[in-house]
Amino acid sequence: MLLPFFQWMQELGFSAFFLNSVWPTPIIQCIHLLAVAVFAGAVLVVDLRLLGRGLTWASLPELARAAQPWLVWSFVVLVLTGIPQMSSTALKQYYSPFFWWKMEALFVGVVVTFVIRRIIASKEEGHFGPVWPKVVGITSIALWTSVTIGARLIGLLS
Amino acid sequence: MVTLLELMRPAFEWVDALPSSIALRESLNGYVYLLTAHVVSMGLVAGIISYWDLRLAGVALRWVPVSRVKSGLFPWLYAGVTINAATGFVMLYAQPMRYFPNFWFWFKMGMLIILACNAAYFHFNIEKTVDQWERDPVAPLKARVAGYVSLAFWAGVIVTGRMTAYSGLVPQWWSDLGLG
Repeated sequence: MLLPFFQWMQELGFSAFFLNSVWPTPIIQCIHLLAVAVFAGAVLVVDLRLLGRGLTWASLPELARAAQPWLVWSFVVLVLTGIPQMSSTALKQYYSPFFWWKMEALFVGVVVTFVIRRIIASKEEGHFGPVWPKVVGITSIALWTSVTIGARLIGLLS
Repeated sequence: MVTLLELMRPAFEWVDALPSSIALRESLNGYVYLLTAHVVSMGLVAGIISYWDLRLAGVALRWVPVSRVKSGLFPWLYAGVTINAATGFVMLYAQPMRYFPNFWFWFKMGMLIILACNAAYFHFNIEKTVDQWERDPVAPLKARVAGYVSLAFWAGVIVTGRMTAYSGLVPQWWSDLGLG
């Protein structure tokens, strides 16, 4: 169903530019990886706090509020630098099972992190009981680890 | 510098010929697992260290005492560094002669040495007085500089680590050394 869309992406002049030029792809990949580091930090400090670990001195809502701008802006950079990488190799991505693994984990990860976790982390510790924050924290870590593994395997095994 | 690298060449060639190195190199999925674990642990290390550095630089977590940031985050940092260093070392062990002539590999190693020196200077010098300023939202200039230096060089490590895959995209003077 999505194949025509991926074929269209692959044939864009924008995709050809990235595919046929030398420096733009590595530069975009490096910026993408830097954004991964910032995003990972913003995710982890809050997830660890949900698990009762890490920066326990700070209150959960305070910490989540402080991490939110880093989370949002690094995610924006990840999407912006991910688009050219995806479009320039659109058909390779389409036929890679790891691309779809990554996209599924990414979709659930976005919902968990930007919706469910945001609600949980906006209230003081104990508001949602002892279990749910931990479930959300561990789910978030598992999902974003899965996204990273899927992304790496697209390049290595597709 | 060429002399120093050439002095190291026999060691790289020796490891390259070891049966365990050859076995790892010829393993079907060994490199895939190693590189994937290296990238995932890089996220842990860089993500955690960036919050420590941003606190030192006075950019983030300004209301959290420096010692609390350290005690809360460093156990995770050590775990990440252990996995990251171990996977990196095994990748080097598996393909030493792939990395030996690689400009980006040596660039990355140089930055890791600078980062180690920066961390040691912070630990043995600046951190001695941490009790006096750990609750200040903005740390003293020396601590802020250490934070910015760490941020910049960790970013450099990430960039050069990614660029290691592009062994052909190097300055002409490096190609002229004829290491490969």
